[in-house]
Amino acid sequence: MSSLGRWARRSRPVFTVYMPTMRFVFFALFPLYFMLVTSFKTNAEMYDVNSVPFWIGRGVTFGHYELLSKETYFWSWFVNSLMVSVAASLISVVLGVLAAYPLARLKFPGAESFGVAIFITYLVPPSLLFLPLSTVVNRLGLSDSLWALVVTYPTFLVPFCTWLLMGYFRTVPKEIEECAMLDGCNRLQTLIRILLPVAVPGVICAALFAFTLSWNEFLYALVFVSPAELKTLTVGVFSELIRGDVYYWGGLMAGACVGSFPIVIAYVFFLDYYVSGLTAGAVK
Amino acid sequence: MAKPSTETTFDSRPVSRRHFLGAAAGGAAGLTGILAAGRAPATAQAKELTFLTVASFVPATDTELKRQLDEWGAKNKVKVRLDIIAHLQLVTKKAAEVQSRSGHDLTALGPGLGDADLYFDHLADLNDVATDVAPKNGGWLNENDYLIRGKWKLLPWWMPPFPMAVRTDLLEQLGEKNPDTWEDWLRIGKKGKAIGHPLGIALGHSADANVTLLSILWSYGGSYVSKDGSTITINSKQTRQAMDFVKRLYTEAMDPEVLAWDDASNNRCLNAGKCIGIHNPISAYESAKKDKVTVPGKTQQIAEVIDHVNTPKGPVDRKATTGYWCVGVWNFSKNVELAKDFLRYHFQPENQARWVEAGHGFNMPFLANLTKHPVYKSDKQYRFIPEVAKVTVPPSWPGPTTAASQQVLDLYIIPDMFAQYATGKMTVDQAIAWGEKEMQEIYAGRRRKT
Repeated sequence: MSSLGRWARRSRPVFTVYMPTMRFVFFALFPLYFMLVTSFKTNAEMYDVNSVPFWIGRGVTFGHYELLSKETYFWSWFVNSLMVSVAASLISVVLGVLAAYPLARLKFPGAESFGVAIFITYLVPPSLLFLPLSTVVNRLGLSDSLWALVVTYPTFLVPFCTWLLMGYFRTVPKEIEECAMLDGCNRLQTLIRILLPVAVPGVICAALFAFTLSWNEFLYALVFVSPAELKTLTVGVFSELIRGDVYYWGGLMAGACVGSFPIVIAYVFFLDYYVSGLTAGAVK
Repeated sequence: MAKPSTETTFDSRPVSRRHFLGAAAGGAAGLTGILAAGRAPATAQAKELTFLTVASFVPATDTELKRQLDEWGAKNKVKVRLDIIAHLQLVTKKAAEVQSRSGHDLTALGPGLGDADLYFDHLADLNDVATDVAPKNGGWLNENDYLIRGKWKLLPWWMPPFPMAVRTDLLEQLGEKNPDTWEDWLRIGKKGKAIGHPLGIALGHSADANVTLLSILWSYGGSYVSKDGSTITINSKQTRQAMDFVKRLYTEAMDPEVLAWDDASNNRCLNAGKCIGIHNPISAYESAKKDKVTVPGKTQQIAEVIDHVNTPKGPVDRKATTGYWCVGVWNFSKNVELAKDFLRYHFQPENQARWVEAGHGFNMPFLANLTKHPVYKSDKQYRFIPEVAKVTVPPSWPGPTTAASQQVLDLYIIPDMFAQYATGKMTVDQAIAWGEKEMQEIYAGRRRKT
């Protein structure tokens, strides 16, 4: 093969893969880039109509991060979000597995309808649910505590996890479970020892989705928790950095940047599981 | 935005990760018990007064409020908690608290007096407090405006009056002096637009748009509801004149971006050095000063070339409105009397004076003596604020404030009506007919069965 041919073969992916993909990468990363750049700009530069908004022209400032750290409960909000998201995701995935398994595997009257009913509950918007839920949270005595969120987030996470895991469990061949049962396993043992190890990508995918939804949740966190130091990141940043008709854009962007890290890290580590969990069952 | 001191004895509940994790272990078992009992577990018996308010534009205002609450709590041996949220979140929070009939004892209400009508059955009567605090502060500014269905269901707390902010360097460049009438502003806006500095009046879905367009409507002698609170009066010759004026303002003196403006947009436009003038409280000026924003292409700070003048006069009148921020006590609170006691404390003249000072005059109380507070003489920029306050009326003027009048504001009927004509989407008659129909439906739907 001539050197030109080799060059053409080597460079083909640049034109057929990387360049077409770059557009989507740019589209996806631009908001993050813009957030990052804005979080390091001085307020004076942000107001300057002659400055280029896409990079920093008048020097970098760490003032917005300093403002978040020193004048707000930002790191408390961060930890609160983390604790609530981890706890709610764990509870939801466990309940989701326990609900999805019988719906995917067992044959009992109404199994199909149960599956659909669970999916329908996922479609009820939180903006309708928060009013009755506020009564429930109050009756439980959980108002103004992080438990209010740990208890209410599974109301939208469990249906979602169940639905996603049902689909994944159905892709696992029944035969391996039957073999385990022939060897003496009961249903629970089959689920724990046979099905779950095979379904790890699906479980991780459900956990990632649950974590992301909890991390980004706003309405319940606003309604059920009031004390400043107990707020989650989404509500805290919004409450403290929008004051009447003055928006602290630098601080808001700094908060959004730091707030994105846990999600980015989670997806970086588990991306392969996530993709295989999502695409399972797409092709049989 | 100041982080509340962690040293205070009367601060809200402690934050403890360890406590959270420890509680997690027993949580599941406890939850079952709670659910079975069907009621909240017994908690500490110490009295606690909770207050929900909105984040002030001037963070020092919230700090001073917290100081007063802490001080009152210490004197009365009551645990206190001040929770602060963004004003945009207040509607959701109020709805949830009323639905569950639990939450804070004291709550900020507004913007607008309409909450008193909307939540009439959920708010404690404050007749006694209103009567107590008025004489000490020279009386309420316009007492009759604040009585909803003849009762004090809330106390009007503070308002940010709306003067006009103007760029003095641009006025000089155009050979103009401080404007006083809407026609002056149209002339200056036209000249300003020609040199790249248009006027900035919001015509979108924002509180500022409601405020300014109502000011213009009244200044031409128009109104949208009559004194009886039920007759819609928007279809009038005066409304047509006001709409013609706004159309000229939009096409000759402004940029189309004003149609998409939110409450922060006019501040940005002035501080970015683009707009020659805006109708807004002093927040834009204060942020420009704090952030040391400079005039584009120059080293001079923009705050140095901003002045504030009176809200403009029209052919018939000079009137303005603003966000009427109020405070109320939920009647489902277990601490109604304590809450009233704190209100009496907060409305003592010396406490009000310190609170106004902390807010740099942004938060003007509805009490006569406070309009003469020295803070309004401390900076030339504040000189017209008491003047604007004198001509400030509730948005439903001359009609009474009701849930329906609040809905007209919340649905931005007035800005939509003006914008549809200004942009040429409708004729003046079509736009007025549309607005009239919307308002009639709102008022018919909200009419109380008596």
